[in-house]
Amino acid sequence: MTAYLVRRVLAVIPVMLVVVTVVFLLIHLIPGDPVAVILGPDATPSQIEATRAQLGLDRPLYEQLGAFYVRVLRGDLGRSYFLNRPVTQALWERAEPTSLLTLSALLVAIAIGVPSGLIAGAFPGSAWDRVLMLAALFGVCIPGFWLSLNFIYFFAVRLGWLPAGGYASVFVDPGAALRYMVLPAVSLGFNQSALIARIARSCMLEVLQQDYIRTARAKGLSQGVVIVGHAFRNAMVPVVTVIGITTAVLIGGAVVTEIVFNIPGLGRLIISAILRRDYPVVQGVVLVTAAAYVLVNLVVDVLYVLIDPRIRYD
Amino acid sequence: MTEPGRSTWLQRLARNRSVVAGLALLLAVVLAAAFAGVVATHDPARLDPPKRLLPPSVEHYLGTDEFGRDVWSLVVHGSRVSLLVGLTTMLLTSLGGVVIGLAAGYGRRLDLVLMRVMDGLMAFPAILLAIALMAARGPGVGNVIFALSVVYTPRTAMLIRSTVLGIRDLDYVHAARALGRRDLAIAARHILPNCVGPLLVQGSFIFAYAILAEAILGFLGVGVPPYVPSWGNVIAGGKNVIREAFWVSLFPGLALTLSGLGLNLLGDGLRDTLDPRLRVP
Amino acid sequence: MVPRSVVALIAILLLASSVSDAQTPKRGGVLRIGNLGEPPSLDPHWGTQTITEVLANHVFEGLYALDEGYRPIPMLADGMPTVSKDGLTYGIKLRKGVKFHNGKEVTSDDVVASLLRWGKRSVYGKSLFAQVADFKATDTYAVEFKLKEKSAIVVISLAVPNNMGAIYPKEIAEKFPPDQRITEWVGTGPFKIAEWKPDQYIRMVRFEDYTRLPGKQSGYGGAKIAYVDELRWIPVPEAASRAAQLESGDLDVADDLVADGYDRLKANANVQPVIVKPYYWLVAVFNKKEGLMTNAKLRQAWQAALDVEPIMKTVAGGKPEFYRMDSSLAFQELPTWHTKIAGLPWNERNRDKARRLLKEAGYTGQPVRFMTTQEYKWMYDFALVSKQQLEEVGFKVDLQVMDWSTLGQRRVQPKEYDVFTTGMGNFFDPTHHIYLTPTWPGWTEDEQIATLMAQLARETELKKRQELWAQMTKLFYEKVPVARYGDLFGLRALRTTVKGFNDKTERPRFWGVWLDR
Repeated sequence: MTAYLVRRVLAVIPVMLVVVTVVFLLIHLIPGDPVAVILGPDATPSQIEATRAQLGLDRPLYEQLGAFYVRVLRGDLGRSYFLNRPVTQALWERAEPTSLLTLSALLVAIAIGVPSGLIAGAFPGSAWDRVLMLAALFGVCIPGFWLSLNFIYFFAVRLGWLPAGGYASVFVDPGAALRYMVLPAVSLGFNQSALIARIARSCMLEVLQQDYIRTARAKGLSQGVVIVGHAFRNAMVPVVTVIGITTAVLIGGAVVTEIVFNIPGLGRLIISAILRRDYPVVQGVVLVTAAAYVLVNLVVDVLYVLIDPRIRYD
Repeated sequence: MTEPGRSTWLQRLARNRSVVAGLALLLAVVLAAAFAGVVATHDPARLDPPKRLLPPSVEHYLGTDEFGRDVWSLVVHGSRVSLLVGLTTMLLTSLGGVVIGLAAGYGRRLDLVLMRVMDGLMAFPAILLAIALMAARGPGVGNVIFALSVVYTPRTAMLIRSTVLGIRDLDYVHAARALGRRDLAIAARHILPNCVGPLLVQGSFIFAYAILAEAILGFLGVGVPPYVPSWGNVIAGGKNVIREAFWVSLFPGLALTLSGLGLNLLGDGLRDTLDPRLRVP
Repeated sequence: MVPRSVVALIAILLLASSVSDAQTPKRGGVLRIGNLGEPPSLDPHWGTQTITEVLANHVFEGLYALDEGYRPIPMLADGMPTVSKDGLTYGIKLRKGVKFHNGKEVTSDDVVASLLRWGKRSVYGKSLFAQVADFKATDTYAVEFKLKEKSAIVVISLAVPNNMGAIYPKEIAEKFPPDQRITEWVGTGPFKIAEWKPDQYIRMVRFEDYTRLPGKQSGYGGAKIAYVDELRWIPVPEAASRAAQLESGDLDVADDLVADGYDRLKANANVQPVIVKPYYWLVAVFNKKEGLMTNAKLRQAWQAALDVEPIMKTVAGGKPEFYRMDSSLAFQELPTWHTKIAGLPWNERNRDKARRLLKEAGYTGQPVRFMTTQEYKWMYDFALVSKQQLEEVGFKVDLQVMDWSTLGQRRVQPKEYDVFTTGMGNFFDPTHHIYLTPTWPGWTEDEQIATLMAQLARETELKKRQELWAQMTKLFYEKVPVARYGDLFGLRALRTTVKGFNDKTERPRFWGVWLDR
């Protein structure tokens, strides 16, 4: 198992190399002179020259790429001209809302998805199953950003129950933070809850076909005991993997949700950075979210091994 | 020999309720797009300021937007952009996916490199990478298709590769090789046909993702230009007036949901019919 | 029994006490203001952005400020300048004992260092210093301008709130070169910067040692009293979110709202909407250096084709309260420069004339590249409706929608475009009308306009300047350097708990404002 874990951790390296390369290439996709674009119309020729040298754009591409790797390794993602501070600092300031939103949405997705999937799977063909799976089908198809708008219209505008947008730090005012977070978390988590429900259902179905469940039934254990005592735990194993994938999707979805609900996180940062032509920040956000994804997947894979000792990796 | 096989294949599809419902929904969208000029009651580009933000009525089935444009006509014409982006992205990702997947599944040395690159590309949250690509390239239908193809090709490539790996070592492929057939010929004769099923399934999901992603990009203001009637653009416009005129964002969103539903039903049904083992979340 | 008169007296006293209670400003509280984004800097010398102007004016002050009629009044200066007989020397005395946020007293050294920096960077500073032969301190509390020629713009330039001649401590003014934004914000204003968390908030707290002018607050100047402990500026980029957060009580003030929400805000008992006059007049700026629109006939055709009212109605959310049909280049709110000239070719709605002009120009349907942005919703809106009207007379318009910073970048490149949208705010002096100058994008290089501009800059007698300005207005409609649409008004709104807000000014100021809760 240790050997597997070591290999799994080492596998992160090539993936991150590709990620950094893609992020590096982004700036070369800009039509025209990226430096002129980055610095904006007020730039003086001397500033343009200085930035060109600083970004190393006068050197051959492979050398630039090498230098970029080194910079990223040192934790230097460049400097935001607009915000007048290092990109890493700007990212750090926006990390809290995005992490909080992603985590809350994940909780919502699990809280809705896992029980509905397991119930549907435990009683296949029942009315519960049909209703839940129909809801899940719609859940997968409803665009999250549009759901957010409808939530705002209904719960904030018409009913006035919850704020239409905004953010409060959970460390400053937990009550307000909760109020602000409900609508975004639900509208972001809903799609994924549908996905989780579908996966959880099919896992449950599969587990219930297994020999040991039949044995348990044959022993005369009640359906409830079989499901709760035996099937549930085993059905959860693949669900954990799905949660890994879900987290990545949520990080992406958070961008859009932050815009709709005006949450000052990484999503709003990247969109305003695009409007400001602040490419170092665009690169930074993309890099950090991809790294977060890689990390989450690593953790999930490790958890997977820990939860399910039957799996052997040799 | 193939004839009876094909007919049962089609029969099975025709019996699958999911496939039928999905196709019906999709057909509705395709018809709306094809006959937009007839189905629409107004010119979607025609601004009529005195008639702004009218609620749904007999004259304007789904009301009007902030420029007095007819929302029904906007939604009908918006299906063209959605279908164009969805279909082209699906075709491009299939093409790219097949080429990369075959190359990876065939050449062991290439495999290592290609799959690391695909892993790396898939490490980006899809919509974020698309946004970043749009930021670099600027708005426009072509760039949307480019961005979405880059984002979704790795997923198809991975799928084709695993299909190829599953077939590569089967006896008849070995036999073909023993007979001296060249790699390309083997790929074309024996391997590609086996990829059609998974491609169709994956294609319908990518179609759905692409339509959704196009709308999100439009909504965020980095997709097709805002005056082009697309569902994302109309929803984005409606966002500003949601308190006064909920219908502007409601109906294009419904259209988006229903097309997504159609494609997902189709994909689910195809998967169940063609290859029950496939699981593409 | 208690005599009636006593009851009446008690009633009056009670009433009076409650009235005075509601009207006696209270100190304390945090005022949360939702604005549309993040300022690129808080250095008013450095940038012309509205948001920089609004925020910086709470922190910094100049020698002069504008009163409620947008006329210059002293701020850090002690009285109006003394001008020599030949009109070439301006002596300005400083108020004594005025303190910077760091506790240091303002002296002429600070003023000289600051204004020299401003003169190299600010649009107003540059145009003033182009006329200045020498600028120096004459004693600790006095400075002196020596001019090359007679000038009409010395005091007004020192009083404009945008890109203002803010006074910094000498050390800071000299530490940051003009092309670099200052990052140490030490001013003399009633608030000082406490914290800046980009995209989250900017906190300004009361400056306890503020040296207040006697008398009353007036326009952007006069006595400034900071009642609230803190101004918290919260960027909320979506106008709809700003309105929603104001209504839910998460904000106390929301600026730059869309007119569509006006009726709803008016109906809300907890909210007071304010119509902002003036705001912008809408304008399509022609590229007169290169391309199609260098042909004056095409520009005249554009002007003739426009039906301004429906355009303004669309932009104003269908609400007549939010637009005004006016052809004057200066707003009605600026009575000194507002013109009333009949028979100008504005809002002609003359399609035949437009078609004839197109024909005379030899126009055969070449696409006109028209740049606009959605970041300012009203720009996109009026561009879109214009496009339709213009195409009905035979123009072919290639509408290019981009983000504002890209537009800003392209509009300085003559090859990139034919027309772009923008808005013209309040210009406090005729010489400030940038679209009449050869340097601003669009490049108005017309000789007659330039001659009039030069006369306006030198002439110091008001009557004569007003005559010149009327001539300029007529010339404007003949040469059509830009196409003027109507006046658009803005919408901002406050919670009813916000008291003492001056709703007469174009841009908000939050001194004199207090919270009743």
